[in-house]
Order: sequence, then structure tokens, then C-alpha cells
Amino acid sequence: MNPHPHTTDKTGFDYMANSGREEQDRDAVGIVLALGLMGLLTLCQYLGLY
Amino acid sequence: MRQPLTRPVDVASQCKAPVEPCVVPAYGYRRVSFLSCLYSLEEALPGLLAMFFIAICSNNLMGVPNPFTLENLFTYLDNVIGPVNGQPFFQIMNSNFVWNALLLGLIVGNAFGVPDCWKRGLSYIHKLMPLGIIMLGPHFVLSHAAKAGLGPIALAAAMLLVTASLTLWLSRLLKVDDRQASVIAGGLVTGDPHACVILMPMIKAKGGQVVNASIGVILFGAVASLVAPWLVRHLDISAQGAGLALALGIGNGAQAVSAGFDAGYEAGRYAGYYGIVRHVLMPAGFLYVFAVMFWRKLRHSHDASVQATRGVESVPLYLYVFAVVWALANIHLFKEPAHHAIFNLVKWDFSLAAAALGLSLPLREIWVWGLRGLALTSLVGTIRLLAVLAVVWACLKNGWLVL
Repeated sequence: MNPHPHTTDKTGFDYMANSGREEQDRDAVGIVLALGLMGLLTLCQYLGLY
Repeated sequence: MRQPLTRPVDVASQCKAPVEPCVVPAYGYRRVSFLSCLYSLEEALPGLLAMFFIAICSNNLMGVPNPFTLENLFTYLDNVIGPVNGQPFFQIMNSNFVWNALLLGLIVGNAFGVPDCWKRGLSYIHKLMPLGIIMLGPHFVLSHAAKAGLGPIALAAAMLLVTASLTLWLSRLLKVDDRQASVIAGGLVTGDPHACVILMPMIKAKGGQVVNASIGVILFGAVASLVAPWLVRHLDISAQGAGLALALGIGNGAQAVSAGFDAGYEAGRYAGYYGIVRHVLMPAGFLYVFAVMFWRKLRHSHDASVQATRGVESVPLYLYVFAVVWALANIHLFKEPAHHAIFNLVKWDFSLAAAALGLSLPLREIWVWGLRGLALTSLVGTIRLLAVLAVVWACLKNGWLVL
């Protein structure tokens, strides 16, 4: 099967592929960022900073 | 002995025009912590900048005073064209922060290709999707629908479950790929093609399937918004009943409101009023589709034709987090200014992710999924519209619903 021209680089890295340990790590980063950003914005609200 | 950082693999035979053996940096070899998926700044920056510039040229994003955006171009064209039943034409065609960025990404990717140096950065789409899904939680507050009354809420919930189940069942008869059918189900039941993109990582759908399905949902909604007012005028129901039927029968907000105003001024106002009922139930729609398809995959794990959620070993953690955030939103933890700030970040997030998705798709990957999806969407959408009209008419005639 030919590598996907838009998503795969010459090293074989496919940026739309998402599985295994890397997927779990990416999810973890997304979750940490989401909770951090929402927590910060909500905290600012409760501290009267808006 | 220390593991090598890279694993040399000769994939020359797989490359179209190989000039030298390629080196595949396997993730497991370079992983130190979960932050290893961020890659180095040097690797990620070009792709991140590509997403950034596509996003800020697509949408009016908070903090970026760029007037030359696709969103502003569509607004200008809306003013040139003039409103259709009081609604901007590009709103009816579902122009929004997801589809603007996706469209510009598609144009850039298909016109100029995607340089290899962008690809590590573009893989951030897989971090942006769970991030955006979780941050959508505060957007759906059930009490916002309370003023509509229990009857319309129950009707909306029933419509949601029946439409999703019918879509997934009929997809087997029409031989539509189950991943695409799931995405169509999400788009139809929520009435918002955003849900197609939200379902992509949960279902493990292909990008081409998502865009193909979304185009079908938008096109069907546009046609339905022209036909539905004609049907409503032939039914002896109140403007309020017509607004409810159109909001639930067509789904998409601007399309339903456009159809409502076509049927009459008050019906248009009520279509907008009842749109919130459909909106706050949106998470239930995509969670239901995921749950059904995940359960189906567990039951038929050896069936090669079952592709939806294939590769998803357990319910993703970010869905649990989303459910908790949604619950917190419903006890009004996120007050109004914070909610707005969070939603502005959601716009940023999905604009960036949609840019990466658009870049990933040659046009043929959208068309290759053919017209079966559109056929399924049209069939289910028509059945839903007729069923909702019939149920609302029966409820009003028998006094089960006082509108």
C-alpha cells in the first residue's frame, strides 16, 4: 500500500494515525490541557478577575 | 543496554520514488513520559504554524484582529446575496468555525500539498480533539431547555434515540460503511454536523467519511428546509407546533429557523426557541451513537465488517472527563463569563484541528465514499421529518401537547 501523500512523511510518520501508547499519551495531554484551561478560567471567574 | 532512539527500517519499497532508505522513529523508542507525544519544538513548530495561520485566516478568533478571514468573506457575500427567509445563506449552509477552517485546509492541501516538515505539528489534531470535546461540556446546560416544557424535551429525546437507531439499522440495508453511518447518525440526531467531527476520534472514522457524511447532512438539511414549510402549511397546526416540528424534524439550527420563517413569522421565532432543546441534548446524541457502536464491536469483535470503534479497546478517558464536566455545567459551576471564555477557546481548538483535518484530505478521499451516505441521510432524514410532523400533529389534535 502506498503511503498517504498528504499525511505521511518520508520517514513513514503518518500524522492522522493514532493508536496504542501514543494515542493514550495524546489523550492525556488533551485532558490535562482541557482541565487546566477550564480550571484557570473558572477560578478567574470565582476570584472576580473578569 | 540502552535502546536506540530510532529504529532503522527500510521502507524504500513502500515509497513511490525512494532515493534512500527511510528511518522510522518509533514512538516507543523515543518515549520518556506522556509529554513525549509533544515532540521537540523544532519538529512541531512548522505544522503548528500552518494550523495557526489557516485557523486565523478562516475564523474571527478571540485575540486576533484579522479582518481578512473566510468568515468575514462569507458575511460579506451574505450581505450581497441577501437573507433567505431572514437567515444568512452561508449560515444555512452551515458555515462555522469548524467548516471554514476545514475548507481552507482542503484548499491549501489540495492546491499546494502538505510539506513533510508540517506533519509532526499537524499530529497535534489528536490532542486538540479530546481537548475540544471536553471543553464543549460547559456549552450544554439542560436547564436552558427547561422553559420549553417537559413535552417538547421528551419528544426531542425520543426523536434523538429513534433517529440514531434507525440510521444505524438502515445503514446495514444500504451497505453503508458502519463508521460513516455512525458519523451520519451523529450529524442527524444532533442536527449539527459538528458532531460528525466530534465522533471521528471515538468511532475511528476516516477523515473522508466525516466530510462526506457532513456534506450529506448539510445538503439534506438545506433541501428539507425548502420542503418542510410546504408540508407544515398543509397541516392544521399552530405556529408554535410548527416551530417545534421544524426544530426537531430538520435539526440544524439555521436551516430549521429558515424553514420556520418560510412557514410564517411566528413559526420561525418558535423554531429558534425550540432549537435550544435539541442543542442541549446534543452530547446525549453522540454519546449514544458511540455507546451503540462500541457495544456492537465488542459483540462482533471477530467480524471484519465491523469497523466502527475498531482499535478502541475501552471507553476513552476523555469521555468520562467530558461527562463529569457536562454534569458540573448542569449544576452551573461555569458561570457566564467563564463559559464564554471557554467557548472562545473551543473555537480556537476546533479551528486548529479542522485545519489539520482539511490538510489531510485529497478530494478523492471524500468522493470515494460515494453517494450511499447521502442516500442514507436522505432516507432517515425524510422519515424523521414526516414522523415528527405526524407526532406533533397527533399530539396537538389529541391535546397531549398544549402549544
